[in-house]
Amino acid sequence: MKRLWNNTRQWFVELAHVTRREFSLSLTDAGILLFFIALPLFYPIVYTLIYNPEVARNIPVAVVDDCRSAQSRELVRMTGATDAIKIVGYASNMAEARRWKDRKDVYAIMHIPADFSEKVGRGEQANVSFYSDMALLLRYRSMLLNLTSVQLAAGANLRTETLSSLGASGMSMGNAPVNNVSFMLGDTEQGFASFIIPGIVILILQQSMLLGITMLGGTSFERARRNRGIDPLAIQAAPTSTVMGKMLCYVIIYLPLTLYVLHYIPTFFALPHLGSPLHYIPFVFPMLIASAFLGLTLQVLVKEREMSLMVVVFTSVILLFLSGLTWPRYAMGPLWTGIGDMIPAVWGMEGFIRINSNDATLADNSTAYTMLWVLAFFYFLTATWAVRHRRHQLSPLRH
Amino acid sequence: MKLAQGLFAVIRREVTRWGSRRLYLWAMVLVPVLSSLFFVDLMNEGLPTQVPSAIVDLDNTPMSRNLTRSLNTTELVDLRYSPTDYHEAIQMVREGKIYGFFLIPENFEADAIAGRTPTLAYYSNMTYFVPGTLAFKGFKTMAVLTSGKVVETSLTSVGINSATAGTILQPLVVDIHPLGNPWTNYSIYLSNSFLPGLLELMIFLVTCWTICEEFKRGTSRQWLATARGSLTTALMGKLLPQTLLFTIIGLAMDSLLFGWLHFPCHHLGNMVLAMPLFVIACQAFAVVIAAVISNLRLSLSLCSLTGILAFSIAGFSFPVEDMYGSIGIFSYILPVRWYFLIYADQALNAVPLYYSREFYIALLVFPLVAVATAGLMKKRCYNPVYVP
Repeated sequence: MKRLWNNTRQWFVELAHVTRREFSLSLTDAGILLFFIALPLFYPIVYTLIYNPEVARNIPVAVVDDCRSAQSRELVRMTGATDAIKIVGYASNMAEARRWKDRKDVYAIMHIPADFSEKVGRGEQANVSFYSDMALLLRYRSMLLNLTSVQLAAGANLRTETLSSLGASGMSMGNAPVNNVSFMLGDTEQGFASFIIPGIVILILQQSMLLGITMLGGTSFERARRNRGIDPLAIQAAPTSTVMGKMLCYVIIYLPLTLYVLHYIPTFFALPHLGSPLHYIPFVFPMLIASAFLGLTLQVLVKEREMSLMVVVFTSVILLFLSGLTWPRYAMGPLWTGIGDMIPAVWGMEGFIRINSNDATLADNSTAYTMLWVLAFFYFLTATWAVRHRRHQLSPLRH
Repeated sequence: MKLAQGLFAVIRREVTRWGSRRLYLWAMVLVPVLSSLFFVDLMNEGLPTQVPSAIVDLDNTPMSRNLTRSLNTTELVDLRYSPTDYHEAIQMVREGKIYGFFLIPENFEADAIAGRTPTLAYYSNMTYFVPGTLAFKGFKTMAVLTSGKVVETSLTSVGINSATAGTILQPLVVDIHPLGNPWTNYSIYLSNSFLPGLLELMIFLVTCWTICEEFKRGTSRQWLATARGSLTTALMGKLLPQTLLFTIIGLAMDSLLFGWLHFPCHHLGNMVLAMPLFVIACQAFAVVIAAVISNLRLSLSLCSLTGILAFSIAGFSFPVEDMYGSIGIFSYILPVRWYFLIYADQALNAVPLYYSREFYIALLVFPLVAVATAGLMKKRCYNPVYVP
């Protein structure tokens, strides 16, 4: 019994030593401070500034009006009055409009055929063609949504005219007999920053932490190689207390930053921010733990300080896709869903976006929350293995 | 002759170094190749249809059930749940089970037939743009069609023939033609911007690594001596094998996209021409950073920063024209921005080469800047200092 007590006490003493040493290693190293402090502080600001205009406005569009009637001019006026589209000029024919598009003076061409007003006058269906550039889907999407509303509004006007000419005006057909109304949830203005930033900030938390931890690992390996396999600055402790102690250090550094990134960034930039910190801070807590252990596991790959960048940086792009932010997770194959399930930030993004933008609670995200704890435990095991493996790697250097 | 000897000596030295560490194989070959396969396989559907969604039917009449059935036959949405009320449905959104739902109000059938204008409501979760937009599109189409059907019924009942009725429903149609990508295939759009972006990132990192590593290990003097004292030869010998390798990988990406997947590419020759220019521009960009900073960690950090921010600032997803001017200008210092513009012109839009000339010239400017700054490097080669 007494031995158990002593061992436990010894374990906690080691843990405290490891944590304290890890703090001093992290906070005195400019490279680590850049990743642990500067990255979470400034990256979210840079990202939000890039996307802060939120929507594409006044996309230049050329008109080829072969009809030249009051009706066609009315249609052009309505189109030009939308947010997304700005009519920059009338081209005399399609060839000229095409040249404008080739020169990137316009991104789309609206073609009104010669029989447009005739068809309208005869009460027939009138067609207008709209040719859109597809290099950027956001432009296409904005123009499409605006054109749909133009089509509905102009259609409603024409319908009233046609119906009254047919003598059916008494039916109050000016509006459709069935109304429809659309509500956008979460990102009500469909802004780009509002859509992408809540996910990006979570990714920044995980990735900056991984960069810092792997750099610490590489630095320690270099020190050990110079000192016959023993890192003079490392505390000799059991693998479990080593990884726990280090994790504690990272999580303590990251907690205030997490609050800043998850609460203050959306507030500064007036992004959607409905959820309560009482839900998302406890939710993200296991993600921090899991990321810390994941970083300690990845240390086995990094044998040099600067290698951390070569190993971790490109994964941000992959993770952006695995998280479902750009490509939804339900449309992925089982392999990619499975790999995504292993990444703390993937669950973190899913849950935080729902809490932040859809006002979900911690309980609504019980699956993601449980998975984060499962990952934390799993990566704890791999991290202890990694510590043993690294000591094993270094042992031949000892004489 | 002496120059050529030096050049070959450096090339031999460099290629031997590749074999010495797995890192080179990893960063130069595995990451770009595996990531390409990842992107292509992940998005092989083209458009993520069958968005998980729900229908709230408060009416429960033949008409509303008919509407539900029609909605379920569209490829855009997959009505997985039928919650009993709005609250249950919104709860499902919060739990992430669905990306949107369609709500049929009480007395829908009765109101529609009696002309009391009932309102169909649909909710799309825009926290995820792609599924949210697709759900919106599916719901909207169905709502408009339903309203059309009701109008048609009432119009034919007052004696207007159904052809005229059809016109009355939609007197004006705007036919939208998405040029070059009529399927609105997301993979065509995303793969063509993200793969070059990733290649750029890896070229930045590898170029910086191979140069600044010489300073870190203090081997820069030996490097320069192998090149018979000429920095130009030293840099050429170091970077040319990488240029070749990265160009091959870039062209392999092109053949994956344009050959294997048949993504639109109208002027293949011009795209092939752009690839080596793009690779060299990326290398030149990294040479400038390495020459100015020379510290392995800092220059790698700066390369990562620009390489990752390039995905946002180069305007693949959000147009540069709509960014704040002071931020948008940074897109012009990124090689991938110019490559992307060339891609849009030459591969997607089949624009004559004349209109893309500036983009090719821009790619050529990068090596010129590198030549101007590389002189800074020579002093450091003689006096390598490593700052951790």
